Amino acid sequence: MARPCAVIGTGQTDYRKKLDLTLDGLVRWAAIEALEDAGLTFADIDAIVIGKAPDALEGVVMPELSLADALGAVGKPIHRVHTAGSVGAATAITGTTMVESGRYDRVLVVCYEKQSEGNATWALSGGKSGGQGAGGTFAPWIRSYIERSGAPEDIGWKVAVKDRQNALRNPHAHLRIQDISIEKVRDSPMLWDPLHFLESCPSSDGAAAIVLASEDVARKSPGKPAWVIAHAKRTEFGQFPGRDAVRPQAGVDCSAALYKEAGITDPLGQIDCAEIYVPFSWYEPMWLEGLLLTPINEGWHMTDNGDTEITGSFPVNPSGGVLSSNPIGASGLIRCLEAANQVRERAGDYQVDGARVALGHAYGGAAQYFAMWIVSSDLQPTYR
Amino acid sequence: MTDHSRDVAVVAVSQTPAYEAFAGPEPVLIMRCVNDLLSRTGLERHDIDFTLAGSCDYLSGAPFAFVSNIDGVGAWPPVYESHVEMDGAWALFEAWIRLQLGDIDVALVIGSGRSSPGNNREIFSLQGDPYLAAPLGLDPASLAGIQARSLLDAKIATEADFAAVVERSWKAAADNPNAMVRRSDTADQLLDQPYYAAPLRAHDVAPVADGAAALLLVAGDRARELCERPAWIQGIEHRIESHHPGYRDLTDSPSTRSAAEKVGGSGTFDVAELMITHSHEEIIVRHALGLGDDTVVNPSGGPLGGHPVMATGLVRVIEVASRIADGSAQRGLAHASSGACLQQNLICVLQGDD
Amino acid sequence: MGLLAYRRMLPDVDLLLEYPYTRTTGPVLGQFLTGLRDGQLLGIRNGDEVLCPPLEYDPTTAQALDPLLVEVATEGTVQSWSWVTDPTSTHPFDHPFAFALVLLDGTDHAMAHAVDAGSIDEMSTGMRVAIQFHEERTGSITDFHFVPLDRAHAVDIVEGAEPVTTIVQLISLNYHEPLHAHRARFAQGLLDGRFIGQRSPASGKVYVPGRGYDPLERVEMGEDDELTVTDRGTVTSFTVITPVDYYGQKETKPYIRASILLDGSDSPLISVDIRNLEEEDIRVGLRLQAIWRPEGERDLTGIDNRSVPLEGVIERWDPTGEPDADANKLREFTQ
Repeated sequence: MARPCAVIGTGQTDYRKKLDLTLDGLVRWAAIEALEDAGLTFADIDAIVIGKAPDALEGVVMPELSLADALGAVGKPIHRVHTAGSVGAATAITGTTMVESGRYDRVLVVCYEKQSEGNATWALSGGKSGGQGAGGTFAPWIRSYIERSGAPEDIGWKVAVKDRQNALRNPHAHLRIQDISIEKVRDSPMLWDPLHFLESCPSSDGAAAIVLASEDVARKSPGKPAWVIAHAKRTEFGQFPGRDAVRPQAGVDCSAALYKEAGITDPLGQIDCAEIYVPFSWYEPMWLEGLLLTPINEGWHMTDNGDTEITGSFPVNPSGGVLSSNPIGASGLIRCLEAANQVRERAGDYQVDGARVALGHAYGGAAQYFAMWIVSSDLQPTYR
Repeated sequence: MTDHSRDVAVVAVSQTPAYEAFAGPEPVLIMRCVNDLLSRTGLERHDIDFTLAGSCDYLSGAPFAFVSNIDGVGAWPPVYESHVEMDGAWALFEAWIRLQLGDIDVALVIGSGRSSPGNNREIFSLQGDPYLAAPLGLDPASLAGIQARSLLDAKIATEADFAAVVERSWKAAADNPNAMVRRSDTADQLLDQPYYAAPLRAHDVAPVADGAAALLLVAGDRARELCERPAWIQGIEHRIESHHPGYRDLTDSPSTRSAAEKVGGSGTFDVAELMITHSHEEIIVRHALGLGDDTVVNPSGGPLGGHPVMATGLVRVIEVASRIADGSAQRGLAHASSGACLQQNLICVLQGDD
Repeated sequence: MGLLAYRRMLPDVDLLLEYPYTRTTGPVLGQFLTGLRDGQLLGIRNGDEVLCPPLEYDPTTAQALDPLLVEVATEGTVQSWSWVTDPTSTHPFDHPFAFALVLLDGTDHAMAHAVDAGSIDEMSTGMRVAIQFHEERTGSITDFHFVPLDRAHAVDIVEGAEPVTTIVQLISLNYHEPLHAHRARFAQGLLDGRFIGQRSPASGKVYVPGRGYDPLERVEMGEDDELTVTDRGTVTSFTVITPVDYYGQKETKPYIRASILLDGSDSPLISVDIRNLEEEDIRVGLRLQAIWRPEGERDLTGIDNRSVPLEGVIERWDPTGEPDADANKLREFTQ
């Protein structure tokens, strides 16, 4: 039967372009930092799970094979997850189930992408000319959201500014735009109408790692554990007659299942902050709705009112989010990791005051893969 | 660990034939297996709580190729599922782990691939270290040749032993409707063939195929309801070794041995299905597992009779589970492998009710 | 008409998946590769052992190693080997050669590399080999190979100016397959100036192009399920793409990509390239008519089993002048 699992260590590389590291060096940076945080060494780890987006992004097939030595996996199980953009969160969940199953006490989860080695738009196009990129896929749905909700056009700009301002507090963040402003976002080149350049995520190198542990191990760990209260995943087809890509049912179902498992009845009131996968600005209001935090077509009011700012009533992406750092395969794990660090009171300059319950969220593919978790400073949180 | 595990069994299995080239999309291969499993058990799609699939984008040359595979599973209304960029045997591992949590009972496990459009030898050379090996085009067949020669040099095996593995595998494959190879050469005839990756000959290398395999994994009493003779998973575990061959004893497979020890893989087995993608590997894996003459090895013919890449490991589990289901075996072992020279190995022990 | 007849008229799918990956080499491998470029072989100490090629960490314990490299002998012994009879395009030679594990003198673990021995008869376990540096060296593991000891010859060594910090690995993979039967019929329809769809016998939904199956009901579909749909439809979503430059990208100017729901279809054509309309002319609900290229000028270059570039068969999409369709009713086709 499922037993408790906690995050007891986290590690992140800086998220930049062209970090002068091998892939081995990249994953080791995050892994060693996570182990040190947990007060453990590679030798203490029972199993390793790695996640990343398509192998073609770095041109290394099944990289768990060539990274096994670097991650101290020799003589141990090493498992590899790939669920497109949601993979980081999916990998965290796989690692969690390995602990919850009772089978392993200490699991190291590592996700990475070194986007500078290849090119994501090339990969998304299957290596052909004319690739429209992720932005080209999502832009029409964003336009449709704007039309349906009647949201003013500056909502996207506000998200872009808020997340970049948050990033200035995060030493790992890739984009650090000191003079970020509404005007600067608005005046940046239009990439995929209605998305401007500064409303889009960067392409980053980076790795993130967490150490997951059973209750016994977590109670003895040097830092404060973040207990995994609930996790959920849902998938739907990317294209089929009857699909609403603006509000994918898989995301709605996933959220409902997540809150049910966590015993959350009023997510907006009972969750203290969230790290949501927002690679393009408008996905903040879209996912606020998709996560059942607001009624349909009303998510943008939260952004507009400043509720999602770090000092707001429901801080979203205090770390700066995917809009500030996007090592694709790691981005979902970073959301889960940052949520954990908030409830561990380890979020440094972007710590949300009094965060006890936090949400980590990722999505992928044609907004069709969803993976989420709820972490808390309490093993059995009492909700407001 | 077997003491604390929740009882979970394989209750239904399905596999497509190993096709030299399947003239249709990969989701169709998967769809055929899934529909077959549902009709065998009388389950509906919504009865499946969790789905896990294993495949490899690079086989068909399309990053994100795995995304369309969900078409063969069914994902409307939305489903709870995940994907490993590994052989389906590792999908089984994760599904088994997931069922241990106790909140859900029925998992669908899939492995699939279409190798026919690409060149596997070149694609899988990209598994090598990207700085030191892949730029040389150091490919799995050549590395297998190096491993095979270390067996010869250590006087553990002869080339005739390799040929004998192939001869026996092909003979068994003749009775397997899903096998691809339909040949019955004797070992002596095989030894007359030219080298491919000396000391290995072309027939020592498992012929890659297109195909899919799937099974239903069900917990506890639900398993007994759905199947007269479930194949209970006594244990499943995997281990990896160093990526660099110079740091390994290539004549042995300590990761196979250690995974087997973890899952109670000692004692006797009526049947063992081993993922032998190069003939000499059978000698290494048999030895690591301590399999005696009382264990029938690869009665299906094994991968040497047809190697549907990314499904092959899961097919080993399926072949063992079917023999337990039909009563011809009581206890069996399935082995899957990934990487060059048996770098990573998975062991699954299955048992029928007494 | 059977599949074979189509195959005679339609090209097979030939896909080249090619990209020059640029890899940063980090502190340890960077030194090693710089050494190779400068004709020097370097290893790393791991306790009492010397490892060549150097690794950043102990492969068994994953403990980091001191990145201070030491020079290593360029002669060694073959521990095991395999003869490559028919080299592929990714191999270092176009003639038969050996891959081998070579233990360099003074080191503790063998390296895997190529031996150019001329003939399989020259190869044996235990044979002595030496490194043969290449005349042209860039700082790559391919800057040298092994030869039987007595065949190594000196090359001019000129040290490079800057340390090696990146390597470029061009990965080039070819994929070849026939069009699937339903794709071939769809492609033939395009050459004939019509869209062929598949109607699911289970859900009744019409897919254009057909996928050979209906994922909603998990049923396969074939020629009996096919029908011709009209070449007129409605824009259900669109975007204007500003092309991002990448390897193989040929687009330079912004252009429209739209989803178009053909009348009678339940699945829009996605990512349809539209070059004859300006951004201000396109909107959701707009009715469009396909204008086919003249018969004989229709070109299916780029069609494969996943994507269908229509630009080669359709010259442009003209507004029909009909009133717009109700955008609210197109919600489920925003794909």
